[in-house]
Amino acid sequence: MTFRTKLLWVSSLTIAGAVALVTGAVSAAARQTFERVDEDRRKGLVDQFQREMAAQGHDVERRVDRAAAADSVARIAIEANRLEPDFSSYVDEARSLADAQALDFLDIVQQDAAIVSNADSPARFGYKLNWLISAGEWQSSRAFLTRISNGDNNPVVLAAVHPVSAGERKIFVIGAKALGSPFLSSMGGAPGVRAMLWLSQGELLDADGSVPVWPVLQTLLNRVKDTRHEATATVAQESIVASPLLHGDTFLGALVVGASLREQQALESSILKTGLFVAAAGILLGVLIGWWTTARVTRPVSQLVSGVHAVAGGDWTTRVSVSSHDELGQLAEAFNKMTEQLIEQRDRTVQAERVASWRELARRLAHELKNPLFPLQITIENLQRARDQHPDQFDEVFRESTATLLAELHQLKLIVGQFSDFAKMPKPEIETVDANTVVRDVMKLFDAQFQANGRPPIEPSLDLENGALPIPADPLQLSRALRNLVLNAMDAMPEGGRLRVSTQRLDDGVRIQVADSGQGLTEEECARLFTPYYTTKRHGTGLGLAIVQSVVADHQGKISVSGQLGHGATFTIDLPLRRDA
Amino acid sequence: MAASFDNLDPSESPSDGAGAAAKDNVLTQVFETLVQLDNEGQPRPLLAASWTHDPARKKWLFAVRPNVTLHNGAPWEPPGGAIAIDDRRPIEEILRNLAKPQSAIAVRMPDGTLEGTGPFRVTRWEPRKFITLEAFDHYWGGRPFLDQIEIHLGRSLHDQGLDFDLGKADAVEIPLTDVKRIQQRGARVALSLPVETLALVFDNPKPELDRVREALAWSVDRAAIHSVLLQKQGEICGALMPQWLSGYAFLFDRDRNVARAKELASNPPPLTLVYDNQSSLIRSIAERIMLNAADAGITIRPATGPAGDLHIALLQIRTFDPRLALEDLATALLSPTVGTSSSEPANLYAMERALIEVRRLIPLFQLPIAVELNADVRNWPVRQARWQDVWMDERAKP
Repeated sequence: MTFRTKLLWVSSLTIAGAVALVTGAVSAAARQTFERVDEDRRKGLVDQFQREMAAQGHDVERRVDRAAAADSVARIAIEANRLEPDFSSYVDEARSLADAQALDFLDIVQQDAAIVSNADSPARFGYKLNWLISAGEWQSSRAFLTRISNGDNNPVVLAAVHPVSAGERKIFVIGAKALGSPFLSSMGGAPGVRAMLWLSQGELLDADGSVPVWPVLQTLLNRVKDTRHEATATVAQESIVASPLLHGDTFLGALVVGASLREQQALESSILKTGLFVAAAGILLGVLIGWWTTARVTRPVSQLVSGVHAVAGGDWTTRVSVSSHDELGQLAEAFNKMTEQLIEQRDRTVQAERVASWRELARRLAHELKNPLFPLQITIENLQRARDQHPDQFDEVFRESTATLLAELHQLKLIVGQFSDFAKMPKPEIETVDANTVVRDVMKLFDAQFQANGRPPIEPSLDLENGALPIPADPLQLSRALRNLVLNAMDAMPEGGRLRVSTQRLDDGVRIQVADSGQGLTEEECARLFTPYYTTKRHGTGLGLAIVQSVVADHQGKISVSGQLGHGATFTIDLPLRRDA
Repeated sequence: MAASFDNLDPSESPSDGAGAAAKDNVLTQVFETLVQLDNEGQPRPLLAASWTHDPARKKWLFAVRPNVTLHNGAPWEPPGGAIAIDDRRPIEEILRNLAKPQSAIAVRMPDGTLEGTGPFRVTRWEPRKFITLEAFDHYWGGRPFLDQIEIHLGRSLHDQGLDFDLGKADAVEIPLTDVKRIQQRGARVALSLPVETLALVFDNPKPELDRVREALAWSVDRAAIHSVLLQKQGEICGALMPQWLSGYAFLFDRDRNVARAKELASNPPPLTLVYDNQSSLIRSIAERIMLNAADAGITIRPATGPAGDLHIALLQIRTFDPRLALEDLATALLSPTVGTSSSEPANLYAMERALIEVRRLIPLFQLPIAVELNADVRNWPVRQARWQDVWMDERAKP
């Protein structure tokens, strides 16, 4: 990952994080505000419906009061104070009073709680309303919630009791409105708000009738029933608050007020969408700005990196432009100065190396030429002395001396030829050759020398990879390099020994090894062996292995040597299967 | 009247008790029987002047009343001046049978119409809707006081009340629950003898329901219902026939005993009750019965359809002869197997108790028919339907 990409990531993430933080904070604040508004709305709704309930209670009280003021009720009260009251004429009175006062339930009850007339069912006369004679909420003469027993459904009602007295014995007029859909319809309400009543398990009523009870709502209602306290929940885009309806400690049901959250959720959604849009736009803008900024900031760095890569690749003339005076500008100036110094240093080094090479060459030439020159000088001096001092022996001396001179001249010619060969190393003519074939051909050239008379025998061995090992190479140069290595090995085994030449297929090339069992090499000799003009032999020029290394390098290969003093040496050549262009 | 009927053939009796009773009452004014039962239930001559058996003692010969004229003006003169009846039963039984309205004399004319000999003749007839009776000037017993009687059939009590209030009717049937109120305002109300028995009838009598039936009978607070819902009209009963007819009705249990009812009702199955929901009185009585039953642990709910485990029945008493009445009730209750060869009270008591047991009945009340009368109506019959004696007092008109 580039520095610019990293910088872009950092800046983008920073911007995105900041935007997300701001968006989240705004969203959380908006949600809290909405929740507070929702809470206030819920409370307001509950208060409103409780006021409505109280108003309905007052209405029931008024209606019961009016029913109690009816003449027929007065007659019943008078009848109740007779010795043997006969209420049979009034058995249907409650029904007409209930109809007149639009009450769902109306009972006219004697002092002992025995029903005189029941609007819902005249047949209930004589049965007692036991709750009436026990101390209860009704005695406050205010409307109260209770559950009445009238058969199967036992409805919850908003009831009021009005005692009527016409003597010692009084009667009671009990009127009630059932809590149900009609009751809810009469309560009114606000748009988006609905009131519901949960009066028994599994039955939930709103103004239009029965409504399904979702599991979440059922759980809420059960909690209200268990705790006798108000509870809230949000169910299907509706904010629900459920308040218990109690008669004393008796749980009668729950008033459930639902406020639609559709508009609020739409507003929240709109805010969220706007926030997300703004955040996305901010992030996009931030990324673009970051892209531009990082491009400006990292351009000098990129130039520096390119310059460094160019220098590393050998182009020391590379320069970076200096467009600022900040740290990056100073870095660019330092880079340019460094490359200039590197070039100067390189030039000085090349010059020094060139001088050193010439000195070494001169030293080697002097050394190599001095060795044959000294015998030449001695031989010529012997000839001069023999002519002057022993003329009779001059012919014989002359013959011997000329032979010696020819031998030394041959040696001089050989030395000069080697130097000439090294200097004239041609470019390789690359073609596909079989490495095994080249090795076999080289080894055949030396068959006679391995077993030559007058020298200890050398036991050659070939360990070649099966099949052909085609490689791109110049067969003549490769053969020459191998010959040099074989000659070098033979020189390393003056007492005879074993010579092992092997080939091996590598993943990306071919390995050729030439191993001898000669006197071996020290670590220092191994390190310096390929240095031109370095030799461990008395009469070597030090160019043989240098030529081998030159050939291998021209073939884009590598050569190495390993060995230990007294245990022979092994030269390893690794040649590639493909050449780089 | 609320009931109705669809033909004027006296031999055909409608299936519903109220319709049959109404038809009996109306057609008794048009068609007469050879004999009739007096208020004590004893046979008395009507169209027959006397009766005796033939010399071979195989037939009964009924000598007809002289100077009897059919409504078309033709004299009614059976051949030989007598009617022979080939019936081997005892004469008392034959006479009681001849006293039935279904045994009335109706002469079928060539055009298919039926001519009677009664004090009134039919001048207008629309089945189930309307019938007009006109005084028959040549009635052998003397012309009736009323010139004409218009009877609306199948008219609800509510409509009858409206007709009365609007002056369209001189006599209308009223609910028993209104009797007291109407009397309190000074209006005239005529109450018949108790001629309807209100009873709970188990529709699928099963032996396993015997204890439930007995428990239910003990649980019903007849006194409270009679006192309040029935406004003390009619009589509390445990028997099918009223005391005035049988003389032994007091022997049947009719008091409430909730403890006994609870004892008998052990895990009773829930029952459904069928009743006439259009009648507020019957509905109130049914609801009270259900409440009383609940006190004893018996669950009874209103039936949602026409069928249920039991229903409230109104059984008509259409004769002054207890044995005939009991047979009529048995017939109405689809129990023809219950019968007796004797009219002795003891036998009738056994027959009635057997009928109650077999049909799993719970008699509750014997109810009268209440009629509100205009102020000028005089001599309205409360026992037998003798409309020829009714007259209008012009002086009493407001």
